[in-house]
Amino acid sequence: VKSRINNMYCMAVFTLNAKMATAPYNYSYIFKYIIIGDMGVGKSCLLHQFTEKKFMADCPHTIGVEFGTRIIEVSGQKIKLQIWDTAGQERFRAVTRSYYRGAAGALMVYDITRRSTYNHLSSWLTDARNLTNPNTVIILIGNKADLEAQRDVTYEEAKQFAEENGLLFLEASAKTGENVEDAFLEAAKKIYQNIQDGSLDLNAAESGVQHKPSAPQGGRLTSEPQPQREGCGC
Amino acid sequence: LQDSNSSNTAQGSWGYWGNWGKSILSSASATVASVGHGISHAIEKAETSLGIPSPTQLSSEDRDLNGGKTSPTKEGESSSPVLGALGMFSTITNVVQSTKQGKTVISGGLDALEFIGKKTMDVIAEGDPGFKKTKGLMSRTSTLSQVLREAKEKEEQRTAQQVTKDMEKKAHYGMLFDEFQGLSHLEALELLSRESEAKVKSVLTALSGEELEKLKLELEEIKEAFSLVEFDDEEEEEKKEHEELLKELTAMLEELHVSTTPDKLVRARKAAHECIAGLSCDSSAPTQDAEKEEGKESEPEVVNTESKEKTTSVEDIHTSAIRSLAELTARSIEQFHKIAALVLHSQEQEAVALALIRAKTLLRMTIMLCKEVSALSKQFTSCLTTVGVKEKPEVLNPLITGVFLEASNSASYIQDAFQLLLPVLEVSHIETRMNTLQ
Repeated sequence: VKSRINNMYCMAVFTLNAKMATAPYNYSYIFKYIIIGDMGVGKSCLLHQFTEKKFMADCPHTIGVEFGTRIIEVSGQKIKLQIWDTAGQERFRAVTRSYYRGAAGALMVYDITRRSTYNHLSSWLTDARNLTNPNTVIILIGNKADLEAQRDVTYEEAKQFAEENGLLFLEASAKTGENVEDAFLEAAKKIYQNIQDGSLDLNAAESGVQHKPSAPQGGRLTSEPQPQREGCGC
Repeated sequence: LQDSNSSNTAQGSWGYWGNWGKSILSSASATVASVGHGISHAIEKAETSLGIPSPTQLSSEDRDLNGGKTSPTKEGESSSPVLGALGMFSTITNVVQSTKQGKTVISGGLDALEFIGKKTMDVIAEGDPGFKKTKGLMSRTSTLSQVLREAKEKEEQRTAQQVTKDMEKKAHYGMLFDEFQGLSHLEALELLSRESEAKVKSVLTALSGEELEKLKLELEEIKEAFSLVEFDDEEEEEKKEHEELLKELTAMLEELHVSTTPDKLVRARKAAHECIAGLSCDSSAPTQDAEKEEGKESEPEVVNTESKEKTTSVEDIHTSAIRSLAELTARSIEQFHKIAALVLHSQEQEAVALALIRAKTLLRMTIMLCKEVSALSKQFTSCLTTVGVKEKPEVLNPLITGVFLEASNSASYIQDAFQLLLPVLEVSHIETRMNTLQ
């Protein structure tokens, strides 16, 4: 009986796999995202909500970086988001800096109920600016918006901080799912817009964007060159 | 095959095999390069058009052929066109040929080829003496993840274009490997590795005199521990229970001084073995001992082959094999990536000797994981042989070959990922040294 069940399980996997093998692979771009911010602000939960549409109540500390992917649509173009969810613990900071390279978008997250996580934003922003390219789209996200009663950072001041630094801004809740979708989409729209108006050069190393040759409107027939670096990257 | 044995006397006992290898090389690489067909197709074409022996026979009779063998393939020889036969790896071939060093990723792959189907692969390698075998060397101009990504993209394109039912059923290793986040973890590991490498270089240029010489010697020692020794997969290992494997891996992680668990990796392995058990192939297969063990776990020997053939097709077993290999490999790479991250962040005061211990432990882990991959592929292929006993060779053979080849790829990714850890250990060792000096 058990072997029969196992067998059925395998068959289920096959079928699922066969379906997945066709449809979702048809996308035109890959964008690399990074999620950064203090420990416990809900980075992994935002990612989980975005990819699984579920809230993860207790989430283990991330070691180094974890990954998630989802295909979205912007202006009729299918885009695959390859999301790097970095560890927030201070002790990992030196390691996680290595992962910024070649990101097209960065989600910089703080917790609206913990002022310290907001105060650290300038340090996160410095890293993001220094370690990515000038065209990297950064979106500021105030997470845990469902905990209005415990609010410690006002919407207005965060909005102002975002404007001063040229960041997109949203308050979101990984728990309720509010604005989570939008956070990832807004950044993608901005990146796509940068591609369209030519300000993001896909040929540049570390643009964080890979154009797929199968894209309907054509395009270059080779894949994006990976970042090529020499010398010290510390 | 009888016929072949008599006809190959002129070329030496390996002549027949040699031809087989060469034919695959030319024909398969041409096919893949020009048309861009998938692995099975390319091999199928090579096989049917050239009348090579069936992989089934190869795998069962290699011992006989090996009897009179006087190793025609030198250790240092390997081949690039072989990779044309690997379907998705046609891209790799290009990369290799376009780099000056001529030894990228592939070199590791050839170790693995040997490891998995030693005899078979030796012969394929015989076809091209142009490339020197170097172990797990990464080229400066391209990275493993880049090569893999390109290969995967080709697969994706093909899949997107050909939506026939037949194509839907084919398993795509590269895409699955990516789905299990293997590619991402590899890319992340590469980032850590390259940054570490740069740091090591800058430290070495800053030092001089005795201090420098001493450090260089120590680093050399660590590097030596990273050279993969030939390991023998002929010796039949007892099949490990999951608990045993878990225990061993956990012990290794403790030796490495990293606080992470091998749970995900062991789960992937367990899932693969449960899948094989679910396919419950007949115990008349060559690896009957292993199968029996699985059989015990699930059900006594009441199952009969007839009914199973109806429920599980050879294509399904093949898909399952490729999927399992892709998952196990992705989890192995993930494990290595986590180890790298933890070694780099480690803040506790470490012993100077730790780097060397770590290197040796990582080598053992690599060998162990490669053996797991090998064992898994053997179980799946023996399952294919049993279930597909009534299939036509042109249906069955490409499937068996495909599993062996993807298994060899899996082993080569694992070995390359292992090599990426060297700079990480070096930089960690340098930091420890600096601390002790202060």
